[in-house]
Amino acid sequence: MEHRDKPPPALQVTGLGKTYPNGTRAVSDVDLEIPVGEIRAIVGQNGAGKSTLMKLLYGLEHPSAGRIRIRGLQVRLSGPQDAITLGVGMVHQNLMLVPSFTIAENVVLGVEPGRASRVDRTAAAERTAALAEEAGLAVDPEARVDQVSVGMRQRAEILKALHRGARILILDEPTAVLTPQETTDLFEAVRRLRDSGMTVLFISHKLKEVREISDRVTVMRAGSVVGTVETHEATAAELASMMVGREMSLEVPRTPARPGATVLRVRDLAGPSVHGVSFGIAAGEIVGLAGVEGNGQTELVELLAGLRRPTAGSVTVDGADVTRLDAAAHRRAGIAHVPEDRLSNGAALDQSIADNLIVDRYARPPLARRGTLRTRRVRDLAEELIRRYAIRAPHPSVPAGALSGGNLQKVVVARELSSGPRLLLAAQLTRGVDIGAMHFMYERLVEARDAGAAVLLVSADLGELLALSDRLLVIKDGRLVARFDDPAGLTEEATGLYMLGVEQHTDERITAGVG
Amino acid sequence: MTPTVKTLVNAEPEGRSAFLAARRTSTAVELTMTVLTVAVAVLIAFLVILATGKDASGALGALLTGPLDRTPRIGRWLADATTLSLLGLSVAIPFRARQISLGAEGQVYAGALAGALVAIHVPLPPVAAVLVPLGAAALAGAALGAVPGVMKARLGANEIVATLMLNAVVVRVFDYLLTDHLRSPASAAIQSDPVRPGSALPLLSDFFGVPLDQANIGLFGMLAVAAAVWFLLARTPLGYRIRMTGSNPEFALYGGIDVPRTIEWSFVIGGALAGLAGAHLALGVYGGLQPDMAGGLAFEGIVVALLARNNPVGVVAAALLYSYLRVGGDVMEQQTDVGSEAVTIIQAVIVLLVTARALPELVKRHLARKEAGR
Repeated sequence: MEHRDKPPPALQVTGLGKTYPNGTRAVSDVDLEIPVGEIRAIVGQNGAGKSTLMKLLYGLEHPSAGRIRIRGLQVRLSGPQDAITLGVGMVHQNLMLVPSFTIAENVVLGVEPGRASRVDRTAAAERTAALAEEAGLAVDPEARVDQVSVGMRQRAEILKALHRGARILILDEPTAVLTPQETTDLFEAVRRLRDSGMTVLFISHKLKEVREISDRVTVMRAGSVVGTVETHEATAAELASMMVGREMSLEVPRTPARPGATVLRVRDLAGPSVHGVSFGIAAGEIVGLAGVEGNGQTELVELLAGLRRPTAGSVTVDGADVTRLDAAAHRRAGIAHVPEDRLSNGAALDQSIADNLIVDRYARPPLARRGTLRTRRVRDLAEELIRRYAIRAPHPSVPAGALSGGNLQKVVVARELSSGPRLLLAAQLTRGVDIGAMHFMYERLVEARDAGAAVLLVSADLGELLALSDRLLVIKDGRLVARFDDPAGLTEEATGLYMLGVEQHTDERITAGVG
Repeated sequence: MTPTVKTLVNAEPEGRSAFLAARRTSTAVELTMTVLTVAVAVLIAFLVILATGKDASGALGALLTGPLDRTPRIGRWLADATTLSLLGLSVAIPFRARQISLGAEGQVYAGALAGALVAIHVPLPPVAAVLVPLGAAALAGAALGAVPGVMKARLGANEIVATLMLNAVVVRVFDYLLTDHLRSPASAAIQSDPVRPGSALPLLSDFFGVPLDQANIGLFGMLAVAAAVWFLLARTPLGYRIRMTGSNPEFALYGGIDVPRTIEWSFVIGGALAGLAGAHLALGVYGGLQPDMAGGLAFEGIVVALLARNNPVGVVAAALLYSYLRVGGDVMEQQTDVGSEAVTIIQAVIVLLVTARALPELVKRHLARKEAGR
């Protein structure tokens, strides 16, 4: 028998490491000790190794070094089944439920009550309701998963883990899909679970939430644990600096814009979801476009990039009409475009980083000569961009799909900014990107502006828009409804009134000086 | 803040050597797996023959050593591999653009027809006598490839249906022309007049002084074509467009690539190569036109491309391997009472194993587990 004065920790890992067959060292030499009944947050940038660590703990990946102990017992997890048997439950970032089943059916899936070959649906619903009551996770057991909110699906996932007897619960970025109210409810339920003896691992890169929910925070960086601190003793700035490895302010340093001649002129542009938009952007200024998502921002940017054809209106870049031209002609006119969804059209995931970096310039000198790609130069260019944009990749021929989200975004940004654009369309520049990379992107964006590019910045993050924009436009239902030529001092709340249509500027004010 | 973090950030060269080493290992593993896949398929065929109560070891011996027994068999093997490589390359290019073109069969016949017509009827000076029919064959194949290419790229037609239907049409037209118009009056069998001697692809046996059946300089032509396809895909802007279009057409469009045009080119080039395969049959192997002269080779080209995962160099290697089994199967049929159907079993097993990528996955998993256990 062991000493009774100190029970073994719920989870203890020593020297844990994971090197992928392609040489990527995702996690190295991690030590972690989490006592029973603690909410432990694991924070870090994209690619810091949080997700890999959790996969190791849930048996989805096999460690290449180190040991895992669960409640003092050394274990080898050959798959999630082993982890579940040992009382480890995981709620994935992308929820994994059967959409056509009811919540109760999903909760009991794999451990159904009733005799073999028949599922006792009544018992399943009762069991689910009881669990939900106990844990404080409100769900409707009879509702079909594809008809309930994301929040309820997530609660169902947690209940599923509880039903399987989880005593250690891993939540991977649980708040990414939730509304603020759902987040509050989730936190309450998590605290209640903790008080009943559950150990919770909470993965996030949102520092505010981490400080709200966790007892202690473990910071990861570049695959290693940087340190573990008591949550109430750490400030957000301290945590941020641990994550990125340097003291950093959350401010974006930038000088006032010195706008030059007008580069982009848009007159009465109309197309799908865009109805008569007019504005201009001068060289050397960042114009922010604010709006509730789905109000025509996506379509407007794609119209300007030549990916959609307008039905009316005109677009000129440096005086040249590009209204009806295709994407290639838009690029030739000096338009660069960071697309809002890098996975759908920003990258070719099974091709190399180098190939991903040259899509806008592969066919002309210096990369091509007499119908031949000069691979040496392509590689040199890729090496240089990887260095300059701090892309974390061992080699230019690594497939782009092997990069983490933040690093892939850097590949996209590196390509678009290094073309020396006249007009940069930046949509959701920092979506899914951690705080370190975010700052990096901001600096590059301001750099491009100061180099004389006209920048249109579209973002769902109002704070980002207010911090970066020299001028701000607001779009609602495909129409511009407000224009602020000096957004300094503008608050998120005030802008929100325009975004929601409570207030509106006159057309004369919005289009003043355009055209 | 520990110092290890800093070294990690600057550890690029270290990560690089690990990456390069890992890449070398995985290439070696892939190669081994391909060979192993074929070996497993042969083994399964062996067991099937054994189960039928026939002389399995004798049959296997004939299959595996037969093609090398006599030089004419080596010649047959090389000639077969030449056609098969060209066909494998002809589908590998559209496959790279993520276009499932099954039109090689029709393109082979179109190429054979065009090449043979020129070679039979047009008197030409030396060298041109060989090159012009080859060009005609490539053009005919390319033109036939362009049809489904345009239908897919501009009209959104399903390329699988388009190419298969076109095959049906072209093969019938070929049969009709051969039987009713091109049939040699001097011959009892249905076949065309022989090509002019100056247009026949020079036989390798004339160079090496040993009988090598119908093997001809087309072998070297094929090697040059394979090298050219490799160069096209890896080193030219068009190859880049094809690869990007195949990897993510949305990305290609966003990057300013003319995706429909690229798709068309992939069909046209593939068609030209299949046309050359037809010319190799007409000017090299048969010296004229015969019914059913492609004999299912077009679809075996797809297997070869699959086995090589659309890598041009791999296609040649896979075609050599595959043709070896085909010739070995014939030898087996002649020398033992086991039919060449056994080879069909081998081919089927290869296709199943390759498409499921079952073996590499199993081995990789095993290796990973071993590593984890260390």
